[in-house]
Amino acid sequence: MAVYKRKYTPYTGPLTPEWSRFFVLTRYALADLFKSRFFVLLLILSLVPCLFFAGYIFIANNKTLQLLLPTGPADMFSVEARFFTIVMIVQTQAAFLLNCWVGPVLIAGDLTNGALPLFLSRPFGRADYVLGKLAVLGLLLSAVTCVPCLLLFTLQAGLAKDGWIWSHLWMVVPIVLCSAIWILMLSLISLAVSAWVKLRIVATGVIFILFFIPAGVGEMFNSIMGTDWGRLLNLSYMFRLILGKGFREPSVRLLGSLDWNEIPIPAAWGVLVFVCLLLLVILDARLRAREAVRG
Amino acid sequence: MNPTIELNGLEVQLGGRTILHGLTGVLKSRAIGLLGPNGAGKSTLINTLLGFHSPSKGSARILGLNSHTNGKALRSLVGYMPENDAFISKMSGVRFVRYMAEISGLPPDQAMERAHEAFVYVGLGEARYRPVGTYSLGMKQLAKLAQAIAHGPKVLILDEPTNGMDPPARKRLIELIREIREANDICLLLSSHLLRDVEETCDEVLILRNGQIASICNLVEERRANRKFLELETVGAEATFTATLEGLGCECAVFTNGRIKVVMPDNVEIREVFKVAADRGVQIRRMNHRRDSLEDIFLNAMEQTGAADGRI
Repeated sequence: MAVYKRKYTPYTGPLTPEWSRFFVLTRYALADLFKSRFFVLLLILSLVPCLFFAGYIFIANNKTLQLLLPTGPADMFSVEARFFTIVMIVQTQAAFLLNCWVGPVLIAGDLTNGALPLFLSRPFGRADYVLGKLAVLGLLLSAVTCVPCLLLFTLQAGLAKDGWIWSHLWMVVPIVLCSAIWILMLSLISLAVSAWVKLRIVATGVIFILFFIPAGVGEMFNSIMGTDWGRLLNLSYMFRLILGKGFREPSVRLLGSLDWNEIPIPAAWGVLVFVCLLLLVILDARLRAREAVRG
Repeated sequence: MNPTIELNGLEVQLGGRTILHGLTGVLKSRAIGLLGPNGAGKSTLINTLLGFHSPSKGSARILGLNSHTNGKALRSLVGYMPENDAFISKMSGVRFVRYMAEISGLPPDQAMERAHEAFVYVGLGEARYRPVGTYSLGMKQLAKLAQAIAHGPKVLILDEPTNGMDPPARKRLIELIREIREANDICLLLSSHLLRDVEETCDEVLILRNGQIASICNLVEERRANRKFLELETVGAEATFTATLEGLGCECAVFTNGRIKVVMPDNVEIREVFKVAADRGVQIRRMNHRRDSLEDIFLNAMEQTGAADGRI
């Protein structure tokens, strides 16, 4: 099909491995996202708290600076599990905001213009499609959750010395695991909602609604019934229960109260797993090349 | 060699309704047309061949690959141009085609090269850097064709390719499709409401009616069988004219107002008719080299129930 010949010729060159093709979606989506100044600004803003946390770590490991500060005793600067729990909570909230902006862009654009049959008429399945889109969110949300958290951990390990790293190495597990849970849930929610409503702005609104309305309904249920089980509808709360358990910090009170023993941890896990499965079912139902109309 | 399309009792149910009712047939030509009125099941058949719908009974094969069990392998051979709008509106045309080619497995540099070539080939070279969303309907059709051929498929499936195109654009697209068909190792499946599109590009036609095969017709054979059928309007034709033609082996039927119908044997050329007319002083005012058109075949298929395998 050379231009100068204006003649159709079949392609006979090499092909990329099938397993790697989902990453084409990821690459193109990231390239498109980084063209948006608003997205870049949002990404930078979501990393700003990490600068303050890094500053905190620096002060916590610098006795001279601590003496210069007009604040109270030096032992207020403590970098332990509680510190990293707070970092995680702040960064996961930033990830939530980022996800509300990025998630709907990924699928809604393809669905509103009917591009899905073009993807699925190739040696490329629905699982590859979802994987490609999940990878976009996975990379971006990791960049604002576990990556900065691990960098802060490394910074602290480097500054503290005295074997701090060995006594706190266990914290790497909750950092990675809790980030992964949160990222997976956020990504699935935004993809499923986008696939369902197809319009980007509406999808963003629905994601907010899904987090805040059920939580409010749960609190109403608690007030009426005199129980705490209504909080099962509060996904952020369930996540923070798991986070607190992971960091062995039973009472982190930031961005809302957290009482340790209200809801059993297995119930929190159960809610998150159930939500993820439900979202996968929605994605399976909505991401089809052709819709069959009943009747 | 495997037939291009093989349908074996294919039944497809969607939303609780049976859309395709046990289609059985073998299509061996390299360019196959899919005809039928609205709701006949053309798009459902294409979607089933692509693996978008699962058959409730039977099977469909393209080049020997089962659409349901070998879906991925089959789709690696296919280039698909859907009927409806299908694009990513904010992407430039060439980037869109490159993207699709990369998903088909082309390395990025090759995909870029093929995308540019495909765009120039379909005649959209000047518009390739514009967002696809700004294209006219005809340009979108061409962009869809470009994405369908960029990765060099072995089977090209075109669903209503000339929808929304003005006559010159339609003509250009039909020429392109014919050019692509002539290239080696590519099979064509074209679904259209326009009989002319199918007639100009296809060798074999599958006609559907109410989800059933109304007819499978080999157009090449039809053309060959009817190639010597002439309708003449003459002035001054006497009995000697028709007698001379019959002497050459033609069969003549004379009607009023100098109209003559001539069925010619294979060894007689049209110029011999002119020669006889000149010798006898007969004016041929009009000559219609007519054969059974696809329209006749289509209408015939719509009126009658097909045979067991649908062939007529």
